[in-house]
Amino acid sequence: MQRDYYDLIWGGILALLGLGVAAYAVAHYDFGSLRRMGPGFFPVLLGIGLAGLGTIIAVPAFGRTTEARAFAWPETIGVIGSLLLFGLLLNRLGLMGSTAITVLVASSVAPRKGILWRLVLTVVVTALVWVLFVLGLDMSIPVWPQGY
Amino acid sequence: MTTLEGLAQGLNVALDPSVLIYSLFGALLGTLVGVLPGIGAMAAITLLLPITYYISSQAALVMLAAVYYGAQYGGAVASILLRLPGTPQSAVTTLDGYPMAQQGRAGVALFTAMISSFAGSMLGIVILVMLAGWLSDLATSFGAAEYTAMMVMGLVAASTVGTGRPAKALAMVVLGVILGCVGTDVNSGVQRFTFGQVQLLDGINLVALAMGLFGLAEVIGNIRKAERHGPPAKVSLRQLIPTRDDVRHLFAPITRGTLLGSFFGALPGTGSTISSFLSYALERKVSRNPERFGHGAIEGIAGPESANNSASITAFVPTLTLGIPGDPIMALMLGALVIHGIQPGPMMLQDHPNMFWGLVVSFGIGNLFLLILNLPLIGIWVSMLRIPFRWLYPAIIVFVCLGVYSVRGATFDIVMVAGIGAIGYALAVAAFSPALLLLGFVLGPLIETNMRRALLISRGDAMIFIERPIACGFVIATVLLLAVPLVKRIRTR
Repeated sequence: MQRDYYDLIWGGILALLGLGVAAYAVAHYDFGSLRRMGPGFFPVLLGIGLAGLGTIIAVPAFGRTTEARAFAWPETIGVIGSLLLFGLLLNRLGLMGSTAITVLVASSVAPRKGILWRLVLTVVVTALVWVLFVLGLDMSIPVWPQGY
Repeated sequence: MTTLEGLAQGLNVALDPSVLIYSLFGALLGTLVGVLPGIGAMAAITLLLPITYYISSQAALVMLAAVYYGAQYGGAVASILLRLPGTPQSAVTTLDGYPMAQQGRAGVALFTAMISSFAGSMLGIVILVMLAGWLSDLATSFGAAEYTAMMVMGLVAASTVGTGRPAKALAMVVLGVILGCVGTDVNSGVQRFTFGQVQLLDGINLVALAMGLFGLAEVIGNIRKAERHGPPAKVSLRQLIPTRDDVRHLFAPITRGTLLGSFFGALPGTGSTISSFLSYALERKVSRNPERFGHGAIEGIAGPESANNSASITAFVPTLTLGIPGDPIMALMLGALVIHGIQPGPMMLQDHPNMFWGLVVSFGIGNLFLLILNLPLIGIWVSMLRIPFRWLYPAIIVFVCLGVYSVRGATFDIVMVAGIGAIGYALAVAAFSPALLLLGFVLGPLIETNMRRALLISRGDAMIFIERPIACGFVIATVLLLAVPLVKRIRTR
């Protein structure tokens, strides 16, 4: 058991986000009137609503305890990192290279030791992607590394 | 056009080989992603969406719909054999399905899930046809005020019915609506919350949001979880045969589940997941010996499985007749229709009878196909569960990247999906519902447009939402939906 940190933190984030949205909308967009609502009308209302809801979520969480829920840090970093790499490398390394790197990085956080299965998986997925998206769908995408 | 003529025309469309093949493919693929924990119908449909550009509108919709209801069949397999829900809709099936498998009755549990799913779908189709005709007539008298009030009611219903913490649910809806505001405002042309990013002018990409919140967040959460189970029990065809006593216990729960599922499926906002939970609660309440629940009560499978299937069919009612998607999956279906230049609404039945009736008939064919094929194929589906998740998820990640990229060829969208995935996982760990966020995102812009229109017509008089009887009904329902949990809370103190 631990204090309900998740509700506390998320409630706080949502409340601040709500205030931020409302303030930004007030500063930048015309609020208008009920008869002719401006582009700022809806965001201001929603921002205030979110701020209120965030407070309702966060405040009772102070005194409450809850079961500890683990946050899977390594998995999050591995998965998100592999996506970022794909997005950043696609135009430089091409489809084959970025696919291989993405699979290697993503599989590095799997709860199983060993290099061989990871390499086999990388080759299989890369081949599958080539067959499906290059041969099959003829997708317009850089396949091999691009020269500068 | 009478119903019979419609069905005849639909048969014509659905049996056309170029449509039929996609319906069968979708049904099989849906079952597969349903069986595999960690990939749901949502992820599969988002991944298929770009492919639908290349096929006819009928084939596209029929295929996506088949993935959706196919996944409802498959979801039960992992729930029963591993106590790991294959799809959110079948989470409740673990409660009695897994105990049954432990008692050596996995086959009967699987049979119950299949036959209940089939019965729920078939009855759902009948209700879909009846409701769609009725609602189309009614909807011609709907104005902007009615649309606004109905969508707000749908969002509130989704947040308060069957969720533990209405405040957390509502916060997700509001966050979704705020994200829906990003991009060029259609009424004034002002760019809202784009911060100078050209890629955000059209708003946040629905596919990117759906993939991040569902595909990625689930992958992250499942990497460790999905490895922690033993091998599934072997199931032979002979074990599927239920006893006479089992069969006797099926009819009433299936009927109740179907009616419940059809109602909540047709209501925008609530959908198949909520219906399956409500159906389980109902079965336990009406049972003469509720203590059997949780220890392998067959009603605990029959009710929810028929409820979630009928809900997945009737969910098409508001989508097709009002143009309002009731859940995130329907939003993707609507997106696929709009890509093909079909704007669903009250005129859908008249203007595009081929599409509507073709879809209806394809539901029937697809479900029949699933029933006939799934019973003998059960051994194959069970062996699919032996594939470790670590072999699957790296491929899923690559497919997510390519699926998002293919929408408009922007690597920006891949980076965005990564960010959304991280936030989505953090929200899911804290027990916030990503489905509600997506629902708010989809309905938000529709609500804003209709609300502006309604208030413009009434010259700024907010009474328009109360003076018009149908709108007033929705407003009253919304207030009740908000008040009931509040009153309950105060009473328990």
